[in-house]
Amino acid sequence: MGGPGAGLRLGRLPRVWLRRHGNGYFGRVHRDGLASVIVGPAVIAQNSLRTVAAVAAGKAAGAASRLLGRGGGTTIPGDVARAIDPGINRAISGGLRRGCVVVTGTNGKTTTAGLITAICRQAGISVVSNSSGANLAFGVTAALLADCTLSGVPVSEMGVFEVDELAFPGVVAELEPSCAVVLNFLRDQLDRSGELNSTAAAVGRGISRLGKQTRLVVNCDDPSVVALVPEGVAAVTFGVDARSVMSASLPRVADARFCPRCQRRMEFSGVVLAHCGDYHCPGCGFVRPQAQVSAALVDADVDQMDVTLGDGLHLQCQIGGVYNVYNVLAAVAACRQLGVPDDVIATALHDFVPVFGRQEQFLLDGKQFRFFLAKNPTGMDEVFRTTIESGIYHNYLLALNDGIADGRDVSWIWDVDFERLASSAPDLVVVSGSRAMDLALRLKYAGIRSGTVLVEPDPEKAMAVSCQRAQDDRIAVIPTYTAMLSLRQVVERRGAVGRYWAAPAAKGVPLPGNTPDAAVTAAPGEQPIPGGKVHG
Amino acid sequence: MARMEATARPLRIGHLYPDLMNIYGDLGNVIALRNRAAWRNIPVEVVELGEGSWDAREVDIFFIGGGQDLDQSRMYLDLLGKRSQLVSAVTSGAAILAVCGGYQLLGHAYSDAHGKVLEGIGLIDGTTTAGEGRWIGNVVVEAGEALGLGPVPLAGFENHGGNTWLGSGVAPLGRVLVGGGNNGVDGTEGAVQGNVIGTYLHGSFLPRNPRVADWLLAAGLRHRDKAWIGPLADLDDTVELAAQRSAVAIAMAEKGRKAVARA
Repeated sequence: MGGPGAGLRLGRLPRVWLRRHGNGYFGRVHRDGLASVIVGPAVIAQNSLRTVAAVAAGKAAGAASRLLGRGGGTTIPGDVARAIDPGINRAISGGLRRGCVVVTGTNGKTTTAGLITAICRQAGISVVSNSSGANLAFGVTAALLADCTLSGVPVSEMGVFEVDELAFPGVVAELEPSCAVVLNFLRDQLDRSGELNSTAAAVGRGISRLGKQTRLVVNCDDPSVVALVPEGVAAVTFGVDARSVMSASLPRVADARFCPRCQRRMEFSGVVLAHCGDYHCPGCGFVRPQAQVSAALVDADVDQMDVTLGDGLHLQCQIGGVYNVYNVLAAVAACRQLGVPDDVIATALHDFVPVFGRQEQFLLDGKQFRFFLAKNPTGMDEVFRTTIESGIYHNYLLALNDGIADGRDVSWIWDVDFERLASSAPDLVVVSGSRAMDLALRLKYAGIRSGTVLVEPDPEKAMAVSCQRAQDDRIAVIPTYTAMLSLRQVVERRGAVGRYWAAPAAKGVPLPGNTPDAAVTAAPGEQPIPGGKVHG
Repeated sequence: MARMEATARPLRIGHLYPDLMNIYGDLGNVIALRNRAAWRNIPVEVVELGEGSWDAREVDIFFIGGGQDLDQSRMYLDLLGKRSQLVSAVTSGAAILAVCGGYQLLGHAYSDAHGKVLEGIGLIDGTTTAGEGRWIGNVVVEAGEALGLGPVPLAGFENHGGNTWLGSGVAPLGRVLVGGGNNGVDGTEGAVQGNVIGTYLHGSFLPRNPRVADWLLAAGLRHRDKAWIGPLADLDDTVELAAQRSAVAIAMAEKGRKAVARA
């Protein structure tokens, strides 16, 4: 592997130190022995001394890291604390009075977790969440650490965590969530996560570890999600019933074409996106379950949507795109399970502001840049669907990086329907990122009008040239994850946005160092990765 | 030229199992073949050859990609049933590009981690064995003599667990400069046997390596019309070659960094 960068090396130090010196000390304390630690006036925690030590070390590491300007405030504390007490997530989250919600699936985790958090806060519930997107176990730890007292008692009442699919079984076992939301399984970063089937299987293992009291909330439009619901478990379902947003046939990148039970080819009477829609198996009768939280009417534009649920609840949001309808439905379904009243949900959704890189908008040099993070073929297809159908975007800035957090293999752009973008005859497409030339090549083969494409790998210059050459004042920015971080930093440097958090953390993977550039340049192993699955 | 083309049937590209063997964005290979024919005013059509019956006789160039385990096991028996059709198509001069899982299936056999042997189509004199780990990363290959292109670089991305070992009846596509290639041991990547090309390179492979695309088109045109002697009209490949150079530079830089890291 590219090797642990600065962030991990910092984290490793205490682990080594502990092995050499710590065990002798902590060894005198029974591992699960209870210690009462008094902090401030009279807060008494029933946490083990090991947990308390882990909390202190983690908090100190986070503070030190921020002081040193190393960033990584979202990864280092978790790493340090987990080195001392691997059971820290269980210990701290056990103190969350209202339990926690976990959200997993390929696309929409951050937005859905953001929506649930916003709704709960609207309901007066205090929430701790890994909103910075560090969605592995240590990212959850870091969020819990930032929220708890020195004795490891959460200040917030509830946790809302987005969780990487492969990390899901482990995190679920640690957190024992009261509610688990599964969104979708789409092809994404195959060089890191392997096959789609193994990703779904990992989430399936997590589901089998859920306690009886846990409410499982699933997207019933995705057959590969429904297939994970165990016999006898009454999952809460959400899905889209509005025919107006369905097409008649599966797109190129649909994966779950076959019945998960009997492997026959399924029939789709309507497709919302990818392989999500209204399906049934002509062989064994496997059929899309009815959606309990159903979008009966959908009017989704680029920056807002009106959704009427099957039970009549009307929702208005300032996030657009059909793909976000699923995130809204997931949040509504989860929050109803938590007992939040419909009027509170509707108010919170109405006031929700798009999160980090997902439909965020910035004004720069008189141009409105709207960011649409797109990390995989379905994500990018849906963004193009949104921008093209809106009719207001004719200028694009596409940015493709091949960092670890983006996926090193950029072959997936050939699965994206760039032909649709070419047919819409945009005025300008600036291509940027470490793989800008691959985008230029893809656009050429999509049949884009000559003279439309400008290649500018550097993010700062790409923003500048977009400003200069755009023929109207709206620019759709469609970046991969680390490309989004780089472009957003440009916006930050120009003063168009406040700093979001101390330093960007990777989605799903521990990034070496704290700069997006580090993510771009960190090389994956050229050697075979042991234990990999054999196929292909 | 246009008048001559009007009398012939279109150049036909057969996309094998497009909805099963499509996991690594290999669709770009079909897009490249189709566009590079169309840009030369050569009538071209793509036919999808999935499960069930189809006729391979009027297909000039076949393409097969890689699939997920489940999908690959689904099409495997169907493909075996088409062996005689494919063999006679190749014997009559049709060309095939097979990438990753498709490449493995065109060999004699694949033996998995449990020692189970899956018979292949046998159009490539090679066998594949399950490896200890996976080869995942950027690849640079220097084209070998088999394609007659000279020692040009080829760029792609590999992601495979199987190691392929070539027999004496086949030439490698090229020599590995960066990456694992066929097996990480003998320095070879891919295979060329007559008009059949196998490779582990994604990217997609043909858009970034247009000379190989044109090699396949020429073979396909010869199959369609035995009297065709070419040459293919030149295309402006500025963007293609710039993308290839960029991919080669990224892969070479990684190799350099890793060498430093090991030192």
